Amino acid sequence: MTLRTDHIAGGVFVALGLAVLALSGDLPVGTLSFPGAGMMPKLVAGLMILFGLLIIVRAGESAPLASLPWGDLTHAARIVAITAVAIALYQPLGFVVTMVLLLFTLTFGAERRPLFAAAAFSVGVVALTYLLFAVVLKTPLEPGILGF
Amino acid sequence: MGTVESLLLGFSVALQPDVLWYAFLGCLVGTIVGVLPGIGPLSGISILLPATFGLDTTKSVVMLAGIYYGSQYGGSTTSILMRIPGEAASVMTCIDGYAMAQKGRAGAALCIAAVGSWIAGTFGVIMLTLIAPPLATFALRFGPPEYTALLDARPGVPRLHVVDLAAAHLADGVLRASARHHRHRQHDRTLPVFLRHPRARRRHRHRTGRGRPVRPGRDPVDAGCEHGPQCHRAEAAPAPAQPAGMARVGHADRARFASRLPGRAHPGSAHIISSFLSYALERRLSKHPEQFGKGAVAGVAGPESANNAASTGAFVPMLALGLPTGPITAVLIAALMIHGVPPGPTLVNEHPNIFWGFVASMYVGNLMLLALNLPLVGIFVNVLRIPYAYLYPLVIMFCIVGVYEVNHSIVDVWIMLIMGVVGYGLRKFGLDPAPLVLGLVIAPTFEMSLRQSLIMSNGNWTIFVQRPIAAVLIAVCALLLALAALSVIRARKDWRSKLAEAESGEGAKARI
Repeated sequence: MTLRTDHIAGGVFVALGLAVLALSGDLPVGTLSFPGAGMMPKLVAGLMILFGLLIIVRAGESAPLASLPWGDLTHAARIVAITAVAIALYQPLGFVVTMVLLLFTLTFGAERRPLFAAAAFSVGVVALTYLLFAVVLKTPLEPGILGF
Repeated sequence: MGTVESLLLGFSVALQPDVLWYAFLGCLVGTIVGVLPGIGPLSGISILLPATFGLDTTKSVVMLAGIYYGSQYGGSTTSILMRIPGEAASVMTCIDGYAMAQKGRAGAALCIAAVGSWIAGTFGVIMLTLIAPPLATFALRFGPPEYTALLDARPGVPRLHVVDLAAAHLADGVLRASARHHRHRQHDRTLPVFLRHPRARRRHRHRTGRGRPVRPGRDPVDAGCEHGPQCHRAEAAPAPAQPAGMARVGHADRARFASRLPGRAHPGSAHIISSFLSYALERRLSKHPEQFGKGAVAGVAGPESANNAASTGAFVPMLALGLPTGPITAVLIAALMIHGVPPGPTLVNEHPNIFWGFVASMYVGNLMLLALNLPLVGIFVNVLRIPYAYLYPLVIMFCIVGVYEVNHSIVDVWIMLIMGVVGYGLRKFGLDPAPLVLGLVIAPTFEMSLRQSLIMSNGNWTIFVQRPIAAVLIAVCALLLALAALSVIRARKDWRSKLAEAESGEGAKARI
């Protein structure tokens, strides 16, 4: 049997539905007249499993999994990883340092733009954004290690 | 004092130079907030609220309201140019606006959005001036059963061709950046080996002029342009000719009316739902519904007009009754209360300068926004020229800052990143993220109003057909579902489509 995209997609929905069912197991279902806190999650999870199974059953109409282009996955993963690091550093380092590092890493590291162009872009954009928010609009941004 | 006298009083306040300045500032910031993906009107108003503490009440509320309705104008820009809604109400504009941009009509789409927004915004203010009290009374009739029935009627909407939504901002950025990177590599492979190094490519460009960044039509990769040749046409796209512009008035009219009901009656996401309803209405009434999703002008004019009219409509219960219809109007009420002015019925009588000054400033503000947005269309179209390698890091930065600044919660930012990854997966597997996001928006309100309705009726489900408005909405829901089912059955029974399928199959076999 050829593995198709909808096999995976439907499988993910079924798994997600089962996870919701498991997580909402303790919540009371109640009655139809007075639904409890668990009724809606269970209803939604049940429908999600049902539609996930339908997607799997009708997966023959979808494209084979092997035909999906995955050439961009490593690049996408790199961007997500860089963004995740930036989020983790946002509070300890603050807006200015984190965003300069984020922009520089994305433009120079991920996009291989020239070093000086990437550095000037990162510093310039962050400085302008900081001026706009902190000076013109008087809106405090995350201060971090620099204290501003 | 009659309406005209009151309005004249309002204009005497709104046309004072300093009030005009703050109205302009609000409109400008609102446009920027709308243009920047990741920063919505709520975060824009919230982060600027402290900046208004030093101002008097009229100026502060005029500026903050300017941010709100200015963001409705600006939100269309990134939707049309980059398929990234600047704020949630611009989601529907992505569909046909982006398709128009791909066809090289980005300038026309932006003009239509600006003019439609102005017509609808001004209409909204006229309504606010003239019929605010009866409409506010109508909104008061909407209880939990009516909300439940209204949200029930939503299944008709996801059937529409909906594109990626605000929650998929990051996914979009990641996907586009990745797709671009992939094409970049493919592009490299199409060049001779000695030209693959960036420096060598620059030398090659210098000699041949090929791939200059300002010529996206000739070299989409180096220009960072998503749309290839279309961008080149987009930059040269003239503003819509007068007849086309006039034809759009009809769409704006329908959109305004489509926006009135939910604008008054639906709290929280009135401007968002209005744009969805308007799109659905335009598609239903269009003689060429097949053009929707492929660059239909009505698909831009309708939703854009609707969200502007609805955002103005949200001020009616806020000003007349002191009721927030959503988080944005709640912040505006907070701004009034911080200045010691209680919103509600007493506002009109006890603070006519503030009430009518605010109303009059919206007439002026809408004109300012039109004057601001039309000349800026050319500048906004130039956004397409910015290499995507520089553009998407900006989007990611503003997404992080925008999400963080709402609650100062890093958890929210992590959720955004996870949703971005989910959005990437959904698009990879060809699943439309729109219904998912629609469910996320609607589900909490639906569940709450359903529970409230059942408590009101002591568990009796007939409450949804006993109340006239709810019954009508349930009937509309049933009708929409029936129409949807009918169109599916008809499509299956249509002998012409079967014949076309058979012919295409035979044609393919013959080619083989």
